[in-house]
Amino acid sequence: MKYKKRKRVNIPNLITCIVFFGILIFMAVMTIALPKKDFLEMENDYAEKFPELSAKAVFNRSYMNKMESYISDHFAGRISWIKGRTVLETSLGKKERNGIYILDDRLVEKISEPDMTSVDKAIAAINKFADGLDIPVFAMIVPTSAEIYSDELPENAPNADQKKFIEYVYRNLGRSVNTIDVYQTMMSNRDDYIYYRTDHHWTTKGAYLAYSAAGKKMGYVPVPIDLFDIEHAGRDFIGTFYSKTLYDGVERDTIDFYHNSEGEKATEVSITESFGEEPEVFDSMYFREYLGVKDKYSSFLGTNKPIVTIKADNDGGKLLVVKDSYAHCFAPFLTEHYSEITLVDLRYINISLSKVIDIDEYDQVLILYNASSFMTDTDIRKLGY
Amino acid sequence: MVFSSLTFLYYFLPIVLIVYILIPNKINVPLGGERVLVVPARNLLILLTGFFFYAWGEPFYVIIMLFSTMIDYTAGRMMHKYDDNPKIRTICLIISVCMNIGLLAVFKYSDFIFHTINSVFGTDITNPVILVNRAINDIYDFGLSENSVALPIGISFYTFQSMSYTIDLYLRKIDVQKSFIGFTSYVTLFPQIVAGPIVRYEDVAAEIEERKVNIGGISEGIAKFSKGLAKKVLLANNIGIIWTEVKAMDPAHISAATAWLGILAFTFQIYFDFSGYSDMAVGLGKMLGFNFPKNFDHPYLSKSVSEFWRRWHITLGTWFREYVYIPLGGNRKGMAKTLRNLLIVWGLTGLWHGASWNFVIWGLYYGILIIIERVGWGKLLEKLPSGISMLYTFLAAVFGWVLFDTDTLGGAWQYIKAMFGAGGTLYDSTSAYMLASNALIYIICIFASTDIFTRLTEFFKKKKKRIYAYTVPAAVACVLLLCTSYLVDASYNPFLYFRF
Repeated sequence: MKYKKRKRVNIPNLITCIVFFGILIFMAVMTIALPKKDFLEMENDYAEKFPELSAKAVFNRSYMNKMESYISDHFAGRISWIKGRTVLETSLGKKERNGIYILDDRLVEKISEPDMTSVDKAIAAINKFADGLDIPVFAMIVPTSAEIYSDELPENAPNADQKKFIEYVYRNLGRSVNTIDVYQTMMSNRDDYIYYRTDHHWTTKGAYLAYSAAGKKMGYVPVPIDLFDIEHAGRDFIGTFYSKTLYDGVERDTIDFYHNSEGEKATEVSITESFGEEPEVFDSMYFREYLGVKDKYSSFLGTNKPIVTIKADNDGGKLLVVKDSYAHCFAPFLTEHYSEITLVDLRYINISLSKVIDIDEYDQVLILYNASSFMTDTDIRKLGY
Repeated sequence: MVFSSLTFLYYFLPIVLIVYILIPNKINVPLGGERVLVVPARNLLILLTGFFFYAWGEPFYVIIMLFSTMIDYTAGRMMHKYDDNPKIRTICLIISVCMNIGLLAVFKYSDFIFHTINSVFGTDITNPVILVNRAINDIYDFGLSENSVALPIGISFYTFQSMSYTIDLYLRKIDVQKSFIGFTSYVTLFPQIVAGPIVRYEDVAAEIEERKVNIGGISEGIAKFSKGLAKKVLLANNIGIIWTEVKAMDPAHISAATAWLGILAFTFQIYFDFSGYSDMAVGLGKMLGFNFPKNFDHPYLSKSVSEFWRRWHITLGTWFREYVYIPLGGNRKGMAKTLRNLLIVWGLTGLWHGASWNFVIWGLYYGILIIIERVGWGKLLEKLPSGISMLYTFLAAVFGWVLFDTDTLGGAWQYIKAMFGAGGTLYDSTSAYMLASNALIYIICIFASTDIFTRLTEFFKKKKKRIYAYTVPAAVACVLLLCTSYLVDASYNPFLYFRF
């Protein structure tokens, strides 16, 4: 046999191979071995299931696409990987991620210029709706945190001017709509905890201030704040802005419930999930089971549903609220003054409103949206049908 | 499957490579008695994994690749068998070339051809390929596109590669490949099948027969692959987001600065994406024991457009030179023919990049610039300070990219006007924010387009061997971790070559 000269193995080359394949194999094995979650809390979505193999799924490539999503959804340490990326980017001075601006002590949404033709359709629909009614119609467009803290945005950062936008909407709403201006209210209380730092909603405090401001126009005397017992019901709330950035640099939020110290007025909450079915009835406006999960804001009247009716123990009138989710922590204050409050979410109603609601039963209508959702909404125009 | 995906990186790659390393080049299977069956194990593995890799993205059209491979293989064998019969050899060549060009015509250009015919003659002829797709879908739901012809991934690359084999065989530059596995493994070699480089058979002929797989080659390949991965995932994807944003804006209302920032972003995106992809391919080839030709050589440092095209997508330029320009007579048949040949080559180069007039004009634009350089401008460029000639070439490329990545000629013209202030302003808050929030990525891209990093690594490789040797694994680990964190949250990871 020939003597074979054995070449000395180059150590750094060997290290390169070990590092490279080590990382790949370790992560691949961990991904397979770790227990799988069915639900991705951060995305608020179900994780991809392991795809089933079939000829059809292979040919239309859904098998491959699903397999790639499966690997990505269940990749070992997924959240930590994404957080790592955010930490890296923010430390390199990047102040924007996934449509969210990262400010010093809060996250705010990057709001692009609205499509005004679409907005005009919504305005026209509200006008048409109000003109056809004999009862007072109120409109409240609430600025979001991106507007109130716009001075803290990075220089020149694109951000639609919500003040101008709200003024535009109010100017174009007809005489049959009473507009309620809460811009100044929010602005002058900006140092207070009126918006969540990690979520797109306003806090209960923010909603209380708007409720107080609306009293004059809507005809009630707001309950003074010191009559409420404030319960810090949900600690460590991390909202939708957090999910989009996974940025840990801002303080987590707290969900507060404001309980009237003289006792709650609400007696019954009934929620219609789909038409034709009997509504489900609850005895509280607070859905405490949500305090234990990520989506803590839903502890206010649950997630968005087509129709929510709150009955309250007082001799006030009946109020119809056409709303987005900003109304959920606002509605509890209304139970102080109205005997029945019906919240309708037009995004989930695909038939004429008059078919699901008998408008003649009501004494007042409130249209309550935040400016950001009003800008992009395409469902308000259903009011005009 | 693309290289910059978790599926490829964490599953396909390690599994294939480990099996590949563990098995020998050839396995001798005794068949009893004296007879031994030599199984080219590694080539077989390359073939099978190549099909799997390709079918992951093209589960139906993988049969076209198989079909073209069989024709070219057979054509090769026939040419060899009838070595002394020029007629048969010529027929074999014609069959192979027509089949490959035909596949491109059907799958890449038919929509474009019928669209052009319909708009010129005002007719409404449906592309027969679509009718065939519909008929096939009726038999079984293969999910083929019924409205437009979907371009099979990488078809422009593998048809060109196969043709390099039959043409070179006809010209007697190479030997026949008798093994079907050997030939098919060349075509399906997964590192280069979807986005190049266009490896000519000649380049790897020897390595298909016998190649060395060792730690040195693998680690060199890992380093090259990691470099490419970083270019694609960290640079191209990040700067590409800016171009996507600008492209979505109305060019009639953007400031000149925004237009420039946008097209510069694309200028860097396409370079880092494409050269990153090539680096990954070269690196993967190295791991498998192949030496692919270089595809990019810091093209943005070129001092003339002619030089730019010797440094950009080098393997494509070589292909057109070898198989179109030189056979047409090149520059040896007088000025008029040379000009004609240049225009043909550049028109075709443009068309190769995609079936639309923008690409043809883009190719001819370069053809004309190169002709102008030939007739004297080039001589002048050499005399200019190199900074100026580099700037000229870079700007020529930037304007080229406008043609390349706006979908219509009208759109390109609109965009070029915006770059000169037709949007009304030179500079506005949009561009200010875009620059401020992305300054770092632009700076990194500018530096990474120069040869500074290459020179630095060469310096360390020669002068500081130990430092270099241990920096490599550290850099590989960093790149892998960083890229993974970007890929896990893959909100933006486009594949730019779907039109090639």
